[in-house]
Amino acid sequence: MRLPHLLFAAALSISGFTWVAATPLGQSTSRAVQRAAPPQAPASQVMPPREKDSVRFAIIGDTGTGTSSQYEVGTQLTKARQTFPFEFVIMLGDNIYGSERPQDFVNKFEKPYQALLDAKVLFYAALGNHDDPTQRFYKPFNMNGERYYTFSKGSARFFVLDSNYMDQAQIKWLEEQLSRSNDRWKIAYFHHPLYSSGEKHGSEVDLRTQVEPLFMKYGVDVVFAGHEHFYERIKPQNGIYYFIEGGSAKLRKGDIRRGGPLTASGYDTDFSFMLAELGKDTMQFQVLSRGGKPVDSGTLRLAEEPAKAAESNPASR
Amino acid sequence: MRMLLVLGFTLFSVGAAPQQESVNPFAQSMVDYKKRVDEYMKLRDEITKKIPEVKETGDPGKIHARETALGAGIAKARANAKPGDILGADMAVHFKRILAEDWKSRTPADRKALFNELPRGVKIGINQPYPTTLPLVSVPPKLLAMLPMLPETLEYRLIDRYFLLRDRDANLVIDMLSDVWPQRDK
Repeated sequence: MRLPHLLFAAALSISGFTWVAATPLGQSTSRAVQRAAPPQAPASQVMPPREKDSVRFAIIGDTGTGTSSQYEVGTQLTKARQTFPFEFVIMLGDNIYGSERPQDFVNKFEKPYQALLDAKVLFYAALGNHDDPTQRFYKPFNMNGERYYTFSKGSARFFVLDSNYMDQAQIKWLEEQLSRSNDRWKIAYFHHPLYSSGEKHGSEVDLRTQVEPLFMKYGVDVVFAGHEHFYERIKPQNGIYYFIEGGSAKLRKGDIRRGGPLTASGYDTDFSFMLAELGKDTMQFQVLSRGGKPVDSGTLRLAEEPAKAAESNPASR
Repeated sequence: MRMLLVLGFTLFSVGAAPQQESVNPFAQSMVDYKKRVDEYMKLRDEITKKIPEVKETGDPGKIHARETALGAGIAKARANAKPGDILGADMAVHFKRILAEDWKSRTPADRKALFNELPRGVKIGINQPYPTTLPLVSVPPKLLAMLPMLPETLEYRLIDRYFLLRDRDANLVIDMLSDVWPQRDK
């Protein structure tokens, strides 16, 4: 069973994901860790989807504060949806900070995203370390009463994990689900980042040793995490693209270590959120600040199927 | 003389009864621990018959009410619970050893990161809810893999220097060991 993984890894190194474009970091991003080409879109302009029938979603993390910043990002999400009509939102944990009384669910979730909920946009939450696991019973989070779960959208399957408590039962479940998936896109998300340049927390190495081998073995394409209160795009690790978006209502200014080896792009000067589109062969992403300014954007190209790659690249066998 | 000594030692060794060594000194403790966990689950099942499982709902009030009722029901049924009632004195030695080894294997930065969102000197007790205003320390998966498995509704947690057994859906501390975690680095 190790062979497919080896072939996949080899294929990635030859013809796997490539950054077609990596823009970033407008004028307000003085803390930008890496500067690249000029932004594709002018300030305050959201890029529309590129493909028909693609899977479109938004990504937010560390949201449940009930502060004005959360509401501002909520407003910006609604605005962005006019140009980029995403169908659902993935939440990367810390969905409700502090007390979890009924009114907290109203003030820290329902009200900030009221317009999206009214428009029948679905939210799919992962549990963070500030979340009571009973949130899995809260219908608007669409967790089906499970700490960890999976769902599919078009050609993509999402694997939502509880990184607070990665017990053997969950690891076994993850392997079963991954091995069963023939989906074109495999996306995993959870709260704690396997790779991070954050001063406060940093990479979750222990967690990485448990789940990354499975991601590699079964060809997970992209991983999203929160926990760090900023946005970071990590340089591809073992053929996998890692993003951190934990700055959608909390912000730890200046927390990204400068000049670190992991950062492809980072933003820790203001609140932010992500938009993503999974097409036939590519994933487009864009990151916007709470003011609607483009922060980062780019295109990931889906790797060739391992078997096909092996055939076309005999040297990789 | 030397030959005689060797011969005597050999004869003594052959004549002595084989030493009785336990393969895993914690094997019996583990069995007993599992029995205590099963007993707790039996008690819990009785309580949940009176407090039905919560289904997915858009009303967080129902979820909160169920959690509180379940916690209160368990606390009432185990009003005299003492530290170690489930975890066990013999297993405490085992848990402490595992935790100490795990701690030793971590870098200072790793140790700090584990608890960096928690205040020091947290007060916690059996039959008390885990403080809802505090984050849950993520139990490192490598450590979790060393600990005996639990039913889905129970979990191990670390807070300050305590090692907790927590009922997840009742948000209740059902057992705890103190000073089990080495002193936090300053």
